[in-house]
Amino acid sequence: METVIFTIYALAACGGAIAVMVSQNVVRMAFWLVISLGSVAGLFFLLHADFLGATQLLIYVGGTVVLLIFGVMLTASGPMLTIRSGPGEVVLGGLVGLAVLGMLVFGMLSVDWESQQTRMYSAAAEEGRGERSMGYNPEGEGNTARRLGAALLGVRFDRDLGRNSETLSTGYLLPFEIVSVHLLVVLVGASYLARTKRRRPNPLEESLES
Amino acid sequence: MSDVGLTPYLIVAAVLFVCGIVCMATKRNAIGVLMGVELVLNGANLNLIAFSRYGQLGFDGQAIAMFVIVLAAAEAAVALAIVLNFYNNHLTVDVDQARQLNS
Amino acid sequence: MSPEQFASTGAALKWLLGLAWLLPLAGFCIEVLGGYWTDRRSRAPAWLAVGCIGGGFVLSTIAFVTWGSATHWGAFAVVDDHHGDAHARGQSPDAAPAAVTGAQAPAAPAEHGHPHDGPPHGHDAAHASSPYAFALSGSFYNLATFGGLSIDIDYYIDSLTIVMFMMVTLIATCIHLFAMGYMSDELTDNYEDHEVHLPGGRHFHRPGRYYRFFSYLSLFCFAMLGLVLAGNIFQVFVFWELVGVCSYLLIGFYVERKSASTAANKAFVMNRVGDFGFLIGLMILWTWFGTFRFANTDPAQPGAPGLFQMVRDADGHIHEHGAGLDRAVVLNDGLGGAAVDAASGQPRSIPFWLLIAAGLGIFAGCIGKSAQFPLQTWLPDAMEGPTPVSALVHSATMVAAGVYLAGRFYPMFVPEVLLVIAYIGCITLFIGATIAIVVTDIKRVLAYSTISQLGYMMLALGVGGWFAGLFHLITHAFFKSLMFLASGSVIHGCHHVQDMQEMGGLRRKMPITAWAMLVGVIAIAGLAIPTPWMAIAFSGYHSKDAILATSLAFMSQNRQHFLLFLLPLATAGITAFYMFRLWFMTFSGKPRNQHVYDHAHESPWIMLGPLVILSVFAAVCAVGGEGGPLARMLFASEPTQAVAGAAVAGTVAVNLPGHALIHEYHTTAGIAALLAALTGAVLSYVFYGAGLVNPATIRSQLSGLHSFLIEKWEFDALYDAMFVRPVHVVARWAQGFDQKYLDGFLHATGRAVVWISKWDRKFDETVVDRAVNVVGDATYAAGASLRRLQTGRLRQYVMFIAFGVLGLFLLMFAFLPR
Repeated sequence: METVIFTIYALAACGGAIAVMVSQNVVRMAFWLVISLGSVAGLFFLLHADFLGATQLLIYVGGTVVLLIFGVMLTASGPMLTIRSGPGEVVLGGLVGLAVLGMLVFGMLSVDWESQQTRMYSAAAEEGRGERSMGYNPEGEGNTARRLGAALLGVRFDRDLGRNSETLSTGYLLPFEIVSVHLLVVLVGASYLARTKRRRPNPLEESLES
Repeated sequence: MSDVGLTPYLIVAAVLFVCGIVCMATKRNAIGVLMGVELVLNGANLNLIAFSRYGQLGFDGQAIAMFVIVLAAAEAAVALAIVLNFYNNHLTVDVDQARQLNS
Repeated sequence: MSPEQFASTGAALKWLLGLAWLLPLAGFCIEVLGGYWTDRRSRAPAWLAVGCIGGGFVLSTIAFVTWGSATHWGAFAVVDDHHGDAHARGQSPDAAPAAVTGAQAPAAPAEHGHPHDGPPHGHDAAHASSPYAFALSGSFYNLATFGGLSIDIDYYIDSLTIVMFMMVTLIATCIHLFAMGYMSDELTDNYEDHEVHLPGGRHFHRPGRYYRFFSYLSLFCFAMLGLVLAGNIFQVFVFWELVGVCSYLLIGFYVERKSASTAANKAFVMNRVGDFGFLIGLMILWTWFGTFRFANTDPAQPGAPGLFQMVRDADGHIHEHGAGLDRAVVLNDGLGGAAVDAASGQPRSIPFWLLIAAGLGIFAGCIGKSAQFPLQTWLPDAMEGPTPVSALVHSATMVAAGVYLAGRFYPMFVPEVLLVIAYIGCITLFIGATIAIVVTDIKRVLAYSTISQLGYMMLALGVGGWFAGLFHLITHAFFKSLMFLASGSVIHGCHHVQDMQEMGGLRRKMPITAWAMLVGVIAIAGLAIPTPWMAIAFSGYHSKDAILATSLAFMSQNRQHFLLFLLPLATAGITAFYMFRLWFMTFSGKPRNQHVYDHAHESPWIMLGPLVILSVFAAVCAVGGEGGPLARMLFASEPTQAVAGAAVAGTVAVNLPGHALIHEYHTTAGIAALLAALTGAVLSYVFYGAGLVNPATIRSQLSGLHSFLIEKWEFDALYDAMFVRPVHVVARWAQGFDQKYLDGFLHATGRAVVWISKWDRKFDETVVDRAVNVVGDATYAAGASLRRLQTGRLRQYVMFIAFGVLGLFLLMFAFLPR
């Protein structure tokens, strides 16, 4: 069952991505992007990252892509919708893409992920920490929102339970704060950059006209 | 319960990543380049969460992915603002026209 | 003097005389600086200089009064009838000198007492307690201290210092006043120097140097006063050199004249020769005594003796031991005992021969400065300076410095040194007098007479007549400055004609000058009207009489040194002869050059005033002779050993006469001197005044002697042959050596260096430069080619990134071990 769902989502994601890559029309590219990102959100659910999947749908599909489409609409004026690249560039880009893909696939296939995982689990078991300290926690399957929120506020239930309080990890409180400030700055900056400026009449052009 | 395993996720992520790269490299439309960036980020996110599930990354992977999403949104906002400014000044969104820094 | 009295009097005198000393320096500074912004036609610098030196005279006079009242006029306590009783007293057995006995034993107190009659004189009392009772010493300022060597500005004030101060400032004031008139030619912006001939028959033109002249004069006075006030021998040396520099500047005042600049150089170089001896003396003194101070008379500081106190005890005796080369002089600690070396605890002493060497070294400096044989040749050439300078140099300052130092340093001179001094003075006085007979330049006659009179002073010092030498120094300063100023007046009136053969009969044109000059001539000739109780005479008679008496007394004790009396006696006649010759040739008879005579005129009163003042002083400054105030002032600071005389002393067995013995011969010597002077004067009248005998015939008969004298005893030729020619020969050799060998070697070296550097240049150009250029070119080419990579195209950069990642991966794959 899971494999089937995975296959569907994976095909949709890859297909959407390839379609984005291939398509020449910006509006279609945006559509395919929605498809691809939505499928990735499905894959997140499959990976038990339910909160992240939801976030992906909300922010990416619902926010970012809408933003992009706004951009398209604000800038699309006839010929701008389809700006074609030269065939040489396309071929070169395709070749480079294939090479990078080959490289990545080669790299991930040459690693024996299973044995590494088991080795890690056994090492953790020897130390008496159990499986839950090593990432996936079957008991907390799904329902990651609370833990994520707690982690962002600096509390790590997955690591710090039963530990000496002197070695508590800090969680993500500091990055969270930084990111929040960052977001604020970005929003201010973006609104500043994008605000409509009245075009100043060019004195040179005026003199030419008159 | 049948498990998909780590490798298929990684492959999907790689495809997304490469598609993003190619998008950035070939699209002349600035919006297209931005979409490529989104794809690359998504590929990376997928990797992070896959390792969070199957690798030793643990819960940190999800947290980092969280930040990546947030930053991607911010980046998209700023980039679009830039693109709009560029369009205002040049009446085009062709990144090949943005060559003022060359010579 | 009690310590409190000493301190208060010392402070008063120190500041009075110090101010008198520094005033000319202030004047000099103002004039030197002000000369650049004041008008060259302004007489202000002269008035400033006169004010400074006149202020100095006033301060000196105040100092004299202060000193006198502080000592309760001890030096003048009894002005008794000197000539009446002294002779009878001199023959009394009580005053018979220890010299007669020939014993080395210290003289009893009674014997070195003063031979004068009556109640004890001030200076008898002084000698009884301490030889430095009337002397005040101390320090103005410590300049530097190098280890044990302390360089101070000290002062040493006794009656001699005060007399010298008054004499120098008075004469200098007169000369300054005279110079205001004499140098008025310089009060212009365009002075034409008729002595300097330029090509084309023109004369040299330059701005006037009035202010410069007076600034030099002020500096000169400052240097001389500093020398007189100096309290240590090193400070004397400093001002000694400053005097030399000033004389150099003034003699070479007309620098554009070749003769003047040569004369200035000659004066300076000759002085350097003497100063070399001075330096050697200084080294010896410092090494063996460890101090430069003359004497420490401060009662608050016992046991810190100066040089004099270390060498001689309170009675003026030298304590010595050993014989031959081991003979040494024991140094005193100033408290009556022997000085002890702080480090070793041994008694300190100085080898006798080193004491002789130190004395001779210091005296060598005096020889140079006072133009004694054999360094006398600079002085006549120094006549190239303006006449006021000659007057100053020849009377009060430069040459006086040498005699003053010899007198001041008298306690350090052992009998051997004194004998050398006596003979050098004797030779000098004879040489100077003989040359003066034939010279026709009016200033040169005076110059040679100065040499001769300085010889008299040195002779007197050498034969034990400390008082006679310095007495003559003072009187001579007055009448010689008078005569120089008178001759300056003549030269001024005759429009810079100096040759006496062009003059004659000027008495009618310039009467005051003529009478002033006559006063000086009579003074120097030593004419007098003898009366049974005392001679009515001008100053020169008294001092010369004292000198001749001393040398006669000396001869009576040392028969083998008879020349030391006979030559001065003969020279006394010669002196009268040539001085009257000068007067007769200049002022009497018929004019020899009608043109000069017609244009001659009497000088203005600014020049005649000083002549009158100096005439008065030249006439009466020595009034009373050895009983007069001047003599008594000098007696007050006479070194003890000169009073007593010394029995057979020194390795060459010299007896030095004491006062008693000198007085014994006073009358004899006086009569002999007067006879000699009269002879000379009458002869002179016969030759030049009345014209009974034509000097030209005698000159032709004695042509050999005449040319010898005209050539100044061939001294210049002798020095030319002795020093100049050999130096030329050596220089020629050195030049040949230089040209042949050194130049060849240097040229070869130079060529080799050029050759090497040529190759070096080639190497640089081909290898080093090229390497550098290649590196630079390569960098430039790389940059240019890389520039093309920076297209600014966004998508290309993405491709580069992708390529880069791929490349890195391939590299890892290829090289990273798995």
